[in-house]
Amino acid sequence: MKLLTHNLLSSHVRGVGPRGFPLRLQATEVRISPVEFNPDFVARMIPKVEWAALLEAADTLHLVEVPKEPIQGYEHDESFLRQMHHVLLEVDVLEGTLQCPESGRLFPISRGIPNMLLSDEETET
Amino acid sequence: MQRLTNDDPESWLNAISIWKNLLELDAKKVKLSQKNANPLKRKVGENDIIAKKLKTEQMQEIQENKECQLEKQIEEETLEQGNFTTKRDKSQEELQNDVVEAVGTHNQNDLTFRVSCRCSGAIARTFTAQEVGRVIGIALTKQFGWKADLRNPNLEIFIHLSDIYSVVGIPVFRVPLASRAYIKTAGLRSTIAWAMASLAEIKAGAVVLDPMCGLGTILLEAAKEWPDVYYVGADVSDSQLLGACDNLKAAGLKDKIELLKVSVIELPLPSESVDIIISDIPFGKKFKLGKDIKHIIQEMERVLRVGGTIVLLLSEDHHRRLKGCEESSVPLNSKGSRTDKPGSTECLNPEGKAAISEPASSSLAASNQERLDRMPPFGSLVPVERYRVSLGKTDALIYKYRKLHSPGQ
Repeated sequence: MKLLTHNLLSSHVRGVGPRGFPLRLQATEVRISPVEFNPDFVARMIPKVEWAALLEAADTLHLVEVPKEPIQGYEHDESFLRQMHHVLLEVDVLEGTLQCPESGRLFPISRGIPNMLLSDEETET
Repeated sequence: MQRLTNDDPESWLNAISIWKNLLELDAKKVKLSQKNANPLKRKVGENDIIAKKLKTEQMQEIQENKECQLEKQIEEETLEQGNFTTKRDKSQEELQNDVVEAVGTHNQNDLTFRVSCRCSGAIARTFTAQEVGRVIGIALTKQFGWKADLRNPNLEIFIHLSDIYSVVGIPVFRVPLASRAYIKTAGLRSTIAWAMASLAEIKAGAVVLDPMCGLGTILLEAAKEWPDVYYVGADVSDSQLLGACDNLKAAGLKDKIELLKVSVIELPLPSESVDIIISDIPFGKKFKLGKDIKHIIQEMERVLRVGGTIVLLLSEDHHRRLKGCEESSVPLNSKGSRTDKPGSTECLNPEGKAAISEPASSSLAASNQERLDRMPPFGSLVPVERYRVSLGKTDALIYKYRKLHSPGQ
């Protein structure tokens, strides 16, 4: 699971609503692997990023060199884009958990795939 | 038929040379895929190579279209209109030079050919397929000097005569159009997957979700064609997700597509966070129809942002349940030609498809509005287009919706 994905995920345990975001990340196995750098793609993702959530996740994973916020003219700043590319796309959490900040419910991540299936009682009506 | 063959040798020769060019590309592709396992789809120039069915004004006049097309294309994915995309990696260009020699351009006069015919409809009572084949074959030999070879010809010519059209085609591929070197285990037929993805208006930087991705076929096809996009696939089944994972690895798309184990009725995504949803809704019996399908579409509607598109593949059953009585009143052509949905919001359709003239649709619009009101689960989803496609044994429908505004507004 990449951090770009984590940035999008939200808990939907019953009654939690928007307080289910962001999910607290815990990782036991992380893989960093190179991904082809596509500046155009990264630039387009930047506006969608929830920065607080990203920084929190990056912090948990002890990542360094994480930009704190989008800078002016980021679309053309290659070094900024490369840093973001690394954080969003090259860090893959293979094993770990995601925790709903409101209910505490834990969702496991296994082989890079988060399992967010809820039981019937937990689902929101 | 003889006259038609002989009067226009130019177009035959043109078709043959295009076919040869494609085969050269094909041979290069074969060589390259042995080295790189990197497949190519083909894009052939707009005017020449389009699979079309012409309606003849008079039944007597048969117009022949001499085009290159895939044999199976006639029966199957007419939706695609014979567009295939050619992609080449720059690194492969060096190899091409070697291969050009290897292919060995055929001298036009040395071609051996075989004519295969199919007749259906009233024509079939007048001619047998063999007669037609023989007539064309003899005409071709006389005209071009090609020799007939029934066992292993260079060139295969397929002819399909029916009451409304005649099609003459030269198959370019020897394998089905849907075969893909990069998909290890196919779920949905790749051509349908590609067609759905192309309807979805995927643009660079979009977030595309397939909430019932199964083995990931739709996302694979989309990611190959539109790479600058963030793809997310979800499924409830471990085995499907494992299969999807394998497929992604085999296709080299592991970095482009993320997988989640998630239920489509409960998507762990904030509202209006996804630009595009494309999905093949399972047809199987284990899946409860009716109530569930409405929930599914509601959840999809929730996570879709305003202005986003949804493209779904629905079975006849789903279609019937959802549309209720509307189905009987909208005529559908069986071979996938577009059905103009009366009163559908043409103004929102950016591709400017065949528009129904406004005055004519006013009365239809009124009745359509009624139908739309009968579909409350769709809330702010507006139907844009609908196509019937063949999956081989069964038919299915591709539905495209756009989200107009947030529900409740």
